Amino acid sequence: MNKGLDQVAAFQKLWTDSFANMAGVWSQFSPGSPPSDEMRKMRGGMLKVLSETWDEYMRTPQFMEMMKASLNGALDLKRMARDGMNRVHEQFETPSKEDIDGVLLAIRHVEGRLLDRLEGLDDRVVNLNEKIDKIDQRIAEQGNGIDKRVANLGEKIDEVDQRIAEQGNAIDERVANLGEKIDKVDERIAKQGKAIDERVANLGEKIDKVDQRIANREKAIEGRGQTAKTKAQKPGATTGAKHSQDK
Amino acid sequence: MSTPTSPDTDKKTSDGPDWEAWQTSLLKETFTNLQRLTSIPFLPSKMERVRKGVTPREIVYEEDRLKVYHYIGEGEAKFKTPLCFVFALVNRPYIMDLKEGRSIVAHYVKAGFDTYLVDWGTPTRAERFLTTDDYVNGYLLNVVEHLRERTGSDQVNLLGYCMGGTLSTMFTAIHQDLVKNLVLLATGIDFSTREGLINLWTDPRYFDVDKFVDTMGNIPAEFLQTAFLMLKPIANLVEKPINLMENIHRDEFVDDYLHMETWLNDNIPVPGEVYREFAKYLFQQNLLTKNRMPLGRHIVDLRKITCPLLNLMARNDDLVPCSQSEVLNDLVSSTDKEKIIWPAGHIGLAVSGRAQKELWPRAVDWLVQRTD
Repeated sequence: MNKGLDQVAAFQKLWTDSFANMAGVWSQFSPGSPPSDEMRKMRGGMLKVLSETWDEYMRTPQFMEMMKASLNGALDLKRMARDGMNRVHEQFETPSKEDIDGVLLAIRHVEGRLLDRLEGLDDRVVNLNEKIDKIDQRIAEQGNGIDKRVANLGEKIDEVDQRIAEQGNAIDERVANLGEKIDKVDERIAKQGKAIDERVANLGEKIDKVDQRIANREKAIEGRGQTAKTKAQKPGATTGAKHSQDK
Repeated sequence: MSTPTSPDTDKKTSDGPDWEAWQTSLLKETFTNLQRLTSIPFLPSKMERVRKGVTPREIVYEEDRLKVYHYIGEGEAKFKTPLCFVFALVNRPYIMDLKEGRSIVAHYVKAGFDTYLVDWGTPTRAERFLTTDDYVNGYLLNVVEHLRERTGSDQVNLLGYCMGGTLSTMFTAIHQDLVKNLVLLATGIDFSTREGLINLWTDPRYFDVDKFVDTMGNIPAEFLQTAFLMLKPIANLVEKPINLMENIHRDEFVDDYLHMETWLNDNIPVPGEVYREFAKYLFQQNLLTKNRMPLGRHIVDLRKITCPLLNLMARNDDLVPCSQSEVLNDLVSSTDKEKIIWPAGHIGLAVSGRAQKELWPRAVDWLVQRTD
């Protein structure tokens, strides 16, 4: 009851304040200015004070109580009307808005459950992705390690290659030197061969000469033999002793 | 309207009414009123000419009721990272591209950004059980993934407006790796302030969210529109029509007015569960600033935001007061963060002439310096 009285009092105050303030605006009226300008000024002033008074009123608990009461009344009325309509629908076995809302809500719950599942799956996919990323990172790190090692090995191989190349060059140089020496040796052997050949040829000639002399001696001996035979056929010949002295 | 006065007329004024000036003024006013009257019949045809968005665009992604528009600029985009506009769920997003000379989208397209806009679409009863998680970790994530795939960029720039800013902030806190820069306009973060009326009205002592959502399902557009109108009832219901009548003969004023009103009256329902979460977790429990806002299986922790942040606020915002937004710069871990408090209202921040001329070139430049 008190609330009701308060609301009436607040409402009454709103109007008394409004009129009092509006009257206050009229006190600023100056008849010297053109009436249209003055009217506009008065109107602006009145609307301004009205606006302020209403704003103040709409902030009061009484106004809000009143709003609450009227809103609740309207909602109760709507509910009653809807309940009545629901009963009618029930009697005619037709779906009411409430039935449709029930179906919608059921769909919504199913959707909610599906979305929860999907979000769960999403989370798992995200976790898996994170794990895969970590593995990728590790592989990449290991790959980098391997790359480094391969690079080191490559460098070492290059160094070895260089050393082999250097040693090869040294061997080539030595071989070239040896070749030269062999050539020289060959030359010397050839020279010595020639000298030997020449000596052999000289020896051959000497042997030939000796052979010739021997042949000549043999011929001479043979000739002496013939002569001796001829003499033997003649008496007193000493053939044996003579033969050994010739030798 | 005031008539130039001479020293002679000043003298007359001090003595009493200047009848000559009165007569001139009345004549002028009568003539202007005739002009106003003759302009009224043309109002419906002018209303029909109002377009919802001006920059050429194409749909590049669709999912349920959601559409993503790609704005077609002249020539190739200069920046690889796409820019995605995220708007609120309570209004249509074409306020970002309202009309010629009043388009935030056009500023970014002109600067060479590959610009996209998320249109959440109009939810039906089938969407009443969609939650904030569905929008942030479902639709918005899918949009961002699509843009990444489409542009080949790893990240996107997000620009969120109002509730779209809150959604973008939540998205960035959960998926920071996908967001390069975050630009926010009039974004509610700290709902503990009692400056804004909406914060007061959603006080749990006076507003039973569960009862409301359970009874209503989706929150009707009319309810939201009434709530927004009630923030400034005199300005919205009295001053605005009077202003229109006074300026109805001025084509430019009428064009701006009709564009704005078309957009303001183009509210869409909000999915019930999203409304429940926003009202309960943000307006009533203020969980976002406590880093305890639940979003599906996530908890939104604003400290996880590390990207550059530009926080734009409107000084005269009656829907999202500055105090509700500026705290964000202290709650994130970003080292590159800036805030601009602009002298405008919630909508004026985006479409007012001064903001278009001065604020948006500055905001575009901020993003240019941080995008590749």
